[in-house]
Amino acid sequence: MRPVRVTADISALPRTVFGHRSLMWWGTIGYIMIEGTTLFICAVTYFYLRRNFATWPPQHIYRPAVLIPTIQAVLMLASNIPMRAVDRASRRMDINGVRRGLVICSILVVMITVLRCFEFAALKVRWDTSAYGSAAWATLVAHSTLLVLEMAETITITVMMFQPDVEERDLSGVSDNAVYWYFLTLVWIPLYVMVFLTPYFM
Amino acid sequence: MTVRAEAYPEPLEPYEEVREELERTWEQPPGLWHWLRSVDHKSIAKRYIVTAFLFFVLAGLEAAVMRAQLSRPENHLLGPDAYNQFFTVHGVTMMFLFAVPIMQAMGLYFVPLMIGARNVAFPRLNAYGYWVYLAGGLFLYIAFFLNTGPDVGWFGYVPLSGPGFSPGKRADVYAQSITFTEIAALAGSVEVIVTVFKNRAPGMTLNRMPLFVWAMLIQAFMVLFAMPWVATVTQFLAMDRLVATHFFNPAEGGDALLWQHLFWFFGHPEVYIIFIPALGFVSSIVATFTRRPVFGYPVMVLSMIATGFLGFGLWVHHMFATGLPQLGQSFFTGASMMIAIPSGIQIFCWIATIWSGRPRFTVPFLFVLGFVVLFIIGGFTGVMIASVPFDQQVHDSYFIVAHFHYVLIGGAVFPLFGAFYYWFPKVTGRMLSETLGRWNFWLFFIGMNLTFFPMHQLGLDGMPRRVYTYLPETGWGDLNLLATIGAVTIAISMVIFVINVIVSLRGGVLAGDDPWGGETLEWATSSPPRPYNFPYIPVVTSRSPIWDESEELPVVTGLRTDVRDVLVTTLLDAEPDSRHRHPIPSIWPLLTAIGTTVLFVTLIFTPWGAVIGTPLFLLGLLGWGWPRGRDKWEQQLVESEA
Repeated sequence: MRPVRVTADISALPRTVFGHRSLMWWGTIGYIMIEGTTLFICAVTYFYLRRNFATWPPQHIYRPAVLIPTIQAVLMLASNIPMRAVDRASRRMDINGVRRGLVICSILVVMITVLRCFEFAALKVRWDTSAYGSAAWATLVAHSTLLVLEMAETITITVMMFQPDVEERDLSGVSDNAVYWYFLTLVWIPLYVMVFLTPYFM
Repeated sequence: MTVRAEAYPEPLEPYEEVREELERTWEQPPGLWHWLRSVDHKSIAKRYIVTAFLFFVLAGLEAAVMRAQLSRPENHLLGPDAYNQFFTVHGVTMMFLFAVPIMQAMGLYFVPLMIGARNVAFPRLNAYGYWVYLAGGLFLYIAFFLNTGPDVGWFGYVPLSGPGFSPGKRADVYAQSITFTEIAALAGSVEVIVTVFKNRAPGMTLNRMPLFVWAMLIQAFMVLFAMPWVATVTQFLAMDRLVATHFFNPAEGGDALLWQHLFWFFGHPEVYIIFIPALGFVSSIVATFTRRPVFGYPVMVLSMIATGFLGFGLWVHHMFATGLPQLGQSFFTGASMMIAIPSGIQIFCWIATIWSGRPRFTVPFLFVLGFVVLFIIGGFTGVMIASVPFDQQVHDSYFIVAHFHYVLIGGAVFPLFGAFYYWFPKVTGRMLSETLGRWNFWLFFIGMNLTFFPMHQLGLDGMPRRVYTYLPETGWGDLNLLATIGAVTIAISMVIFVINVIVSLRGGVLAGDDPWGGETLEWATSSPPRPYNFPYIPVVTSRSPIWDESEELPVVTGLRTDVRDVLVTTLLDAEPDSRHRHPIPSIWPLLTAIGTTVLFVTLIFTPWGAVIGTPLFLLGLLGWGWPRGRDKWEQQLVESEA
């Protein structure tokens, strides 16, 4: 061990930080980049396979229904309002605001996930009917996997927030979960356009 | 908060007390149970390195059997079916179970030490990554020993690997074993990125980061953006085979070339994912053994970043034989040649460093010199096959086999062996034998050239890849025999290396903290490092912290020693920013990895695998994330209004 020279004392540094100051925020960003790339690949595949067909959807395949997917997409967008409120409340250490907001968000994420089940039917094509169906299903399945995981996480966090000994640093995790939620819902909008609307004009 | 360079007025606590308490807080007690729960980056990286090396030996043995088969015409050691499995498993093992994991493992071991951190940012994720990787490797080899090894080449081209031409489960084993290793690689990349961004020692601005750390950071970003492509495309293949999707079925609008695009968009960056860490090893070794910082630091960093970016723009040069538009051919030829520029710049920087330094020709340094020679040969043939007309002539021939073995063995495995010799004293506390090391180097160097140089000629003579035998009239017998003699020479050099490791572990010369006179922070702590790495978090004032602070090491104090307390710094300037409660050891990463394994393996047989495996995986995550072990901390509870 070499002799040391002390240059500073760091014991006064904060223990709870938010956003880019926190490790978990960066972990979340890494996860977002991985999953964003995966969803991008689904989109690349979708448009690449489009070139193999004269019409889109291919002949003898119905266009997807748009009502439920549109409701679902709007609900996803709207869910960002309470999630943003949760994010802000967590940064204020406002546990009551966090609890209220998370209950609303948990209900919304369950509704969104249930609607997602109907979206598969709204595609009006099976995965094994043609490459068109395969690409549409792949996109939906990829996003749904993330949605189910996020539903599990949001509900778990909500339960944790109602425990008696919530710590300040737990609220930083709540804020990171909100960041992931922004990604998950916003990335769906172009994918929704791709899967449900492009068959009407492409 | 700015770190001041002048002495801090408070007196230091007694060193022995600090050390003892840190030992208690960070120790990993002996015993299997604690071993399974370990989250220490050094312990996990060592497992990665040993496991990856064992897979390297297995893949090497497969190569040796293939060389024996090809040593003379019309040989019958292996039949065509077994040969197909051998070259596929050899390729898959070398790429996914050896090269990428071992490079990442070197980063997971040394990045925290070089940046003055106590551990990686997400230690449980690190443990999870290892267990998933191990499961993937075991899965591949269990299948191989059950005669269900993949037989479709490491790039698994459709339609050969599709349901029509590959009935049975061999191609599924290929697809799914890759998924395992990709998850591990992605976990490792997030680990390295966040650790480098947020856990650097105070004062280690980006501009002072060791080149090794830059290399691992750039590699991690490449993994982040490249691995999802292969993970996704192999899932598409698995779905085509399991639930009759049509991604690659032309009869239903699918596309065989889609596979090639998606695969090579990963596959080409993969080469650089393996190669860029090696650049980091080379820079570390060159600096230490010439006793001067590497010439042209900013140029070196920018060259590595340029390589990282350009590596994503070359994938189509693997597809020149598929029939491309003229413009596409020209673009990818240009891009492929362009990547020689940053590689060339780095070679010149190292030469300038050696030229202006005082080189010591130790074994690690010999491996670096071997790297320069071999990599230049591989680079030259790379420029040749970047040209479409030439590529069309040698496509799928042994010329290509020669080229990529020069690039990968010369460009990555030689630096890796240099790194083994260089850092072995740090990891184990003992030196490897220089004499055995020289035998290891020279036999490896000669054997490598004997094996692969004749393959250039064999390729030009028209010998195709992936043939299990050939006729005597072709005249390929002599050069093939020469290549096999080379392979035996490499095998002998590897036996010498293993003997060296075993002998040195038992009775090697004790290394001390800094046997080579190194430049970077890992040499400032004990060999092997204690579980907490550094008793006090070091402060960095220059790019060569050990050389420039030769009298005493500047440090910060104030982290708690009775709990796992770590320092978080800012991204650009590494100013102390917050303190982070570090996770304690846990069995849950292993349990989650077991859940993941159940999910992936059952998915080969039935789509209901998702229904069986997903809850197990989620249960694992729940146990992993559920807060516990808080009692020792000063809890900062949130107050709620009643």
